[in-house]
Amino acid sequence: MARTHRTDPVLASYQEISAFLAEVERRAFKQAMFAVRDEHSALDIVQDAMLKLTEKYSEKPAAELPMLFQRILQNTIHDHFRRQKVRSTWTTLLSALGKGDEKDDDFDPLETLPAKSDSNANADPAQLLEQGQIMAIIEQALSRLPARQREAFLLRYWEELDVAETAAAMNCSEGSVKTHCSRAVHALAAMLKAKGVTL
Amino acid sequence: MTTEDTDFAKKIAARLDQGAADLKAGTVYRLQLARQEALARLSDPKRAAELRLAGAHALAGSGTLGGDRRSWASGRLWIGIALIVVAGFGIQQWQAYQQLKDIEETDAAILTSDLPIDAYLDRGFQNWLKRAIDE
Repeated sequence: MARTHRTDPVLASYQEISAFLAEVERRAFKQAMFAVRDEHSALDIVQDAMLKLTEKYSEKPAAELPMLFQRILQNTIHDHFRRQKVRSTWTTLLSALGKGDEKDDDFDPLETLPAKSDSNANADPAQLLEQGQIMAIIEQALSRLPARQREAFLLRYWEELDVAETAAAMNCSEGSVKTHCSRAVHALAAMLKAKGVTL
Repeated sequence: MTTEDTDFAKKIAARLDQGAADLKAGTVYRLQLARQEALARLSDPKRAAELRLAGAHALAGSGTLGGDRRSWASGRLWIGIALIVVAGFGIQQWQAYQQLKDIEETDAAILTSDLPIDAYLDRGFQNWLKRAIDE
């Protein structure tokens, strides 16, 4: 899917914001899922990001919406982890039975992958199965990337932001974006190769 | 990043697009609801356009709805500041008055007491008074 980024400085209209959100919402949800690995939290994060965009940044030019929304989305994901950290600290303090084996390290992303919808009911089941397996491996590999590498990769190649926009959304330098992207691509290639997946 | 790396990244992005297209119906529905709620904050299109127009006029310095609202907000701010200043001045005056009254009462008590005023300058009397208070 090609992302169309307008370049005119005209303020975003209601219709433009509506169309932008409709176009970006699924990818935003998947991005949040890769990061937090929980469907309900991911949905909450996307909703928060959308609300922040419409409440605070609706008077921005349409061309700035993709970068602004990604910045808001990444910040909302970071806020989620911060809140989770505080919550887990209190839980550990308050719970005498708290054990160290409940960390996310043991989490298997395959467990949270959504079931395929039946929209491709007419396709070859074997092919669908293979596609589903490859998709699961790709998403699992993305989830295992370091957070900053995953952010840079998704913003740059999935959201199709340029290097400067990605840097602005991630609040880092353009050099860091290039480094993160390069490392992410090599890490993904290595993980897919190890699983025997060729694209 | 080589061309091969970029091609590989684009292939992954294409696969991710497929994954995003195959979201569960329930998830898609909840995303739609979230979008509608966010858009509701923008208000209806006519209202949004009206507000934008008002904002533009306010920036241009004309007396429109937006300008009136801003001047009213600014007026309320100054009224609040004035009230705080008046309240601070009043508290200061009241404290000064109370201090003066306390001094007057002390002076009156000293002057009207049977004890000669020179007693307060006597070191022995002060030591006796201190001991009496400690006990």
